[in-house]
Amino acid sequence: MLNEERIILMARMASYEKGEGRENVKIGNYFRSDYIAAQVLKSVICAVIAFLLIFALYIVYNFEPLMENLYEMDLMAFARDVLIYFFATVASYGVITYLVSTWRYAKAKKSLRCYYNNLKKLNSLYTESK
Amino acid sequence: MTVLLEVRERLKLIYSKYEAVLLPVAKFLLAFLVFNTLNSRTGYMTQLNDTTIVLIVALTCSVLPAGVMVAFAAAISLAHMYALSMEVALVGLCAYLVLYLLFFRFSPRDSLVVLLTPLLCAYKIPYVVPIVVGLLCGPSSIVSVGSGVFVHYLIELVTDSASNIKLMGEEDVLAKVRLIIEGITGNKSMLVVIAAFGVTVFVVYMLRRLPVNYSWTIAMITGAMVDVVILLIGDLLYEINISVSGALLGSLLAVAVAKVIEFFRFCVDYSRTEKVQFEDDEYYYYVKAVPKMTVPVSTKTVKRINSPQAREAAGAKGASRPTARGDGSGRGSARTSSRPQGRSGRSVVVKNSMSEGTGNGYEEWS
Repeated sequence: MLNEERIILMARMASYEKGEGRENVKIGNYFRSDYIAAQVLKSVICAVIAFLLIFALYIVYNFEPLMENLYEMDLMAFARDVLIYFFATVASYGVITYLVSTWRYAKAKKSLRCYYNNLKKLNSLYTESK
Repeated sequence: MTVLLEVRERLKLIYSKYEAVLLPVAKFLLAFLVFNTLNSRTGYMTQLNDTTIVLIVALTCSVLPAGVMVAFAAAISLAHMYALSMEVALVGLCAYLVLYLLFFRFSPRDSLVVLLTPLLCAYKIPYVVPIVVGLLCGPSSIVSVGSGVFVHYLIELVTDSASNIKLMGEEDVLAKVRLIIEGITGNKSMLVVIAAFGVTVFVVYMLRRLPVNYSWTIAMITGAMVDVVILLIGDLLYEINISVSGALLGSLLAVAVAKVIEFFRFCVDYSRTEKVQFEDDEYYYYVKAVPKMTVPVSTKTVKRINSPQAREAAGAKGASRPTARGDGSGRGSARTSSRPQGRSGRSVVVKNSMSEGTGNGYEEWS
């Protein structure tokens, strides 16, 4: 005998698993600290690559003035400035990623809790029918 | 209104029935439009302007995720930039990589926004984007809208500078790079539009979530006003020559489009709002429930009930004799037909039923 409530619940859960749930299940497989650390690490790598690209463009853009003043400019001060910008970029991007991934983890966990409650409900519906 | 709601329900039914076909077709059309627009705006690599190639790429995109369409669009634009000048392509590649690494990582599911923003900007109707994105997506989509605006201005810069770049010789590598970088960093118009669209998305998102009546309408109108005001302030501060009438008309169009989207996504009847209050062991609940506007779709089913014997008898005895009127006892075959068939003496049930089984249909016997 078909149980309408059970079918509706299963359809909703299947739709969740197919869409938003897939990403949430992936996030839910991690411990909170592991997930956030992995995201921050990825972001740091991305930020380093992005900074290098922007720095390369900056060098090409200012190539002629840099070459002209190469022997007159304070190279140590220039390197210090570049490093400050580098660490500021990477650190700020890391902090933003930390905040976003913390929020995403909490949201995914909340959503998964609802999903697991539905699983329990489905299980109880099966038990009732037997 | 009932007719519109019925049309909406019918459209939903059609979509759910033919989703497997409609979705790839929509993706194909979007991809075709995006690649064609890109080719018509740039078109420096003549091999890519061939319609056959565009069709093949669009067909490929129709069965792949939307992210692939973004990758193809980026590759095609880079190919056009490369045909113009390798230096321009390198700057473009760096810009796309930085966008992907720093911004697009946070909202990878907004591929459609990244594609539609430059497309609508190219057709001079960009004001639809922030309002619709604010209504349908979250605040993280600000990044996607900003990226889309950046891509539009990058392509515009390349097309505007194309004649100068062509005049430069092979040896002017640095000058070409400088021209493009200066064009990007000094583009106040781009910064103002990104700021205006970002704030608009945020305002629309925040307002449409408010628990007040007509929150979506309030959000879209306020968003349109905020958008125009920020653009005008930017115009006054930086003299970026934004067309005021264009912004006003575009915002009106955006509100109209947003109303259509509201009809499909958030059609509620505030006159039947219910406020209930209850409690359990841990909490008091103050609940405001706003019912959705829905009408069941009527479906017309013509059911013929007759027995094979009666049909045969009717056929044998010919047209001169009155025929069996059908037994109607449930023994006969039931078919669906929309056309009565001569005088063979069959019973036809025309049933105008409601899809949700509300039971207010009627039956007619002939």
